Amino acid sequence: MESIKMKVNGKDYEFSIGRKFGQIPPNETLMTTLRERLGLTGVKEACNEGACGCCTVLMDGEAVTSCMLLTVECDGRDILTVEGLKNPKTGELDPIQQAFIDHYAFQCGFCTPGIIMSTKALLLKNPHPNREEIKEALSGNFCRCISQYHVIDAIEDLAGIKEEE
Amino acid sequence: MEIIGSREDYKYIGKNVPRKEAAGIVTGETVFLNDFSLPGMLVGKALKSPYPHAEITKIDISRAEQLEGVHAVVTYENIDPSIRIGYPPIKPFLSKRVRYVGDMVALVAAETEEIAKEAMDLIEVEYEQLDAVYDCVEAIKDGAPQLYEELPNNMAPGGYLPYQKPENLFWKLNKGDVEKGFEECAYVVEDVIAFDKKTAPLSPEPAGAVCKYEGNNKYTVWGATQSGYICKIISGMSIPGADFTINTFNIGGSYGNKQGITLVVVASAILAKVTNRPVKFYNSKVEQMVAFDTRLGSVLRAKVGMDKDGYIRAIQGDWLIDSGGVANGTQAQAAVGLGEAQLMMSKCENWDFESKIVVTNKTMAGCVRGFGGQELNSCLSLLFARLMKEGNMDPVEFYKKNFVQAGTQYTWRDGIDWTCKSINYVPVMTTLAEKYDWKNKWKGWNVPTWIYDDGKKVRGVGCSIIGNGDVGEDNTEVYVRVSPNMFTDDARIILQANCTESGMGQRSNICKMVAEILNVPYDSVVITPPDENVNPNGFGLCGSRGTITYGRAVTDAAKDIKKQLFELAEPHLLVPQEQMRLENFCVVADTKPGKSIPWKHLIPENLTLTGYGKHLETFATPNFFMIFVEVEVDKETGKVDVTNVYGGSDCGQVIDPAALELQVQGCFGSASLDTALFEENIVDPATGRQMTYDMLEYKWRPFNEFPDLDCCFMNSQFDTFHFKAVGVGEITGAAAASATMQAISNAIGVQICEYPATPAAVLRALGRV
Repeated sequence: MESIKMKVNGKDYEFSIGRKFGQIPPNETLMTTLRERLGLTGVKEACNEGACGCCTVLMDGEAVTSCMLLTVECDGRDILTVEGLKNPKTGELDPIQQAFIDHYAFQCGFCTPGIIMSTKALLLKNPHPNREEIKEALSGNFCRCISQYHVIDAIEDLAGIKEEE
Repeated sequence: MEIIGSREDYKYIGKNVPRKEAAGIVTGETVFLNDFSLPGMLVGKALKSPYPHAEITKIDISRAEQLEGVHAVVTYENIDPSIRIGYPPIKPFLSKRVRYVGDMVALVAAETEEIAKEAMDLIEVEYEQLDAVYDCVEAIKDGAPQLYEELPNNMAPGGYLPYQKPENLFWKLNKGDVEKGFEECAYVVEDVIAFDKKTAPLSPEPAGAVCKYEGNNKYTVWGATQSGYICKIISGMSIPGADFTINTFNIGGSYGNKQGITLVVVASAILAKVTNRPVKFYNSKVEQMVAFDTRLGSVLRAKVGMDKDGYIRAIQGDWLIDSGGVANGTQAQAAVGLGEAQLMMSKCENWDFESKIVVTNKTMAGCVRGFGGQELNSCLSLLFARLMKEGNMDPVEFYKKNFVQAGTQYTWRDGIDWTCKSINYVPVMTTLAEKYDWKNKWKGWNVPTWIYDDGKKVRGVGCSIIGNGDVGEDNTEVYVRVSPNMFTDDARIILQANCTESGMGQRSNICKMVAEILNVPYDSVVITPPDENVNPNGFGLCGSRGTITYGRAVTDAAKDIKKQLFELAEPHLLVPQEQMRLENFCVVADTKPGKSIPWKHLIPENLTLTGYGKHLETFATPNFFMIFVEVEVDKETGKVDVTNVYGGSDCGQVIDPAALELQVQGCFGSASLDTALFEENIVDPATGRQMTYDMLEYKWRPFNEFPDLDCCFMNSQFDTFHFKAVGVGEITGAAAASATMQAISNAIGVQICEYPATPAAVLRALGRV
């Protein structure tokens, strides 16, 4: 494999694979590529073993922990990071981002990008999840400040279940 | 969350206002330490000891040094031996002797992390293993393995000069007559209780620092610390004569744990000096968990007595504090623990009680939210529970009798006697107990609230309290500057405060306070980055101090501005100052309709108007938190589930309801409530290695396991500062572990005293294994 193609936040990239300077070595994780080559530092590095969800991004609409994927595995994939959520032209926030602000759904904010991306994946599949479905979808995301209650409230509000009830 | 009681009607105070950092956090644009770099920056890593106690017999760095891209390899053989950590500073930063698994053996600076790791693999080390000791009770016995020549019986000296004057060193309390005190007691219990699993605060962002050496022993640090000033002091104590300038970023969680961040700051400083390049030293998650500050271990060996009326009258014993491989200011936590114990037993006049700080061959302990008080209370409260059971006392009534109130005296962590003022938490105890329906839920000691039909599952409730006087600790100063807009009549208000942000929202809250006093939009107030050279001195955030300390400083600085504006307006408005107010960036004359003057016409062109405010340390208004926990226990399997949690306090004026509620919900995090259930660091006794070394092995509560939680605050107007508030965030989980143990004991019918109450521990308490 000499190169791979990847779409990241709507933009097409082609990366050269190899061990020479500037190339992506086969052992580089998607997290490292996103953070260090594309400057997408909203992808947070933390546990490096898929346990905390801080590095969560979407790959073809599915939430994945980018520390557990090699970039060479992502040929032809469509990647979305937290930086790709807001409208690039108007700056308008994604409704999830706005709901997190409106509900004070974070404290230190380190795990927030990962939680928001897990939420994005959930809502793409299930626009009206109930409280249990929200909790289950976020069970791979760590938050030690304990913003879980506010996060669940924010998503529940967004999902519109409360009003329907 | 419910807030009860009358209060002033403010524009911003007491209302939710979006955090200044909100948009940056949800878009991923906020910069944390690991997102920051300097030109020419190298990566620093440390080779760690695989043994809990060993002497290095040979170390060869030649192959590592020759690896391309390696800039420095530092070991005990080529380090400046005057660089030492701990209090007293006796542990050489790198030494021939290693004292815990994860103790640093060599430092490497390289072009990339990969090269640094490869270089570490090329360092050849031979060790001679020594006997190790992991238990603080064993460590102080004669014949136990000794960690330091300077610490006979592995005990560090008590007293802490950064907190105390030499004449007031404070590590024990001897007063009254304990023998006589016990004679007056109707109930006396004596036991050894341990809360010693040295749990992990586990901030999502590990500790890290970038350091640039400026020459002449001066260092500039960009650090992930919640208290830049504390980091400066501790780092300066480690490298003799060094002058550190500390800058901080948004902090990815700390919970009191990332303050001194001694290991990462000193390591980066050493490497920056020898390479003359900026060096980033950033822990991996595993390094954070095995080689960075844990919660301290706590073993209480005490006899406590209560009189027939339910007042604690005497205590005798000692409190062993396991600080792991080095005591790094553990004395400060001992002093706060002793202080908090006095708040809990404020009517007790007879004390023969001593803290003993012990070093063991485990990862070093540091400060964590709770800061000594939580660790001692988690033990002490179980003895209180026994006394209450003996005396058939309702815990709520016990707390009302024994917790500190205005007028009571106690010795605080500065070794000085303080008299409590203004606060009284009895009304809120009554209110919270009523709202939780405690009288109906609590059926007596070791009696379940209810039992399922099959008799296998039982529920029980528990209630614990805690309080801390540190809420007014350390002097702090700020500037508020008014910078008029050149083209319009409004102004920018610049708050210069060395105040960090690690999730509590305090930077935004102090902007709210300024906006409230100057009657300007919140958006017009900006706060400078936590850069030590830009701002006057501020201790940062710890011990819930921010509300009172920054609160007083910023409100005084804003009031200073107001006073200056009124004085400047007098010749223009021709009314006395009492008849002036601030509105729309103008001084308005109340008694002359339509008469006002814009601030910009009062301030010389192109200049700013500066106000100054300061807070001077006080320990006279302790905070308080009460927590109720209900659990369901499966008596067949021993599994415990928390079914609901209810907590609250009287925190004076609520500053930001959402931030306050989040602090309460944080009672589950940072090694608090769940230290009663499943959080523990497990050390393999055969190898001394921590088996809970990462986030897969260490147990933590995921999103789908949170029980119902609610809280309630009273809104009294305490005499603290302009906005009459008391910070309470630190301690919301500090009594949660002991409340949980009480709830489990009540559910299963026997007292359980083994932290954490894992299924095996519950079955042991039931006598079934």
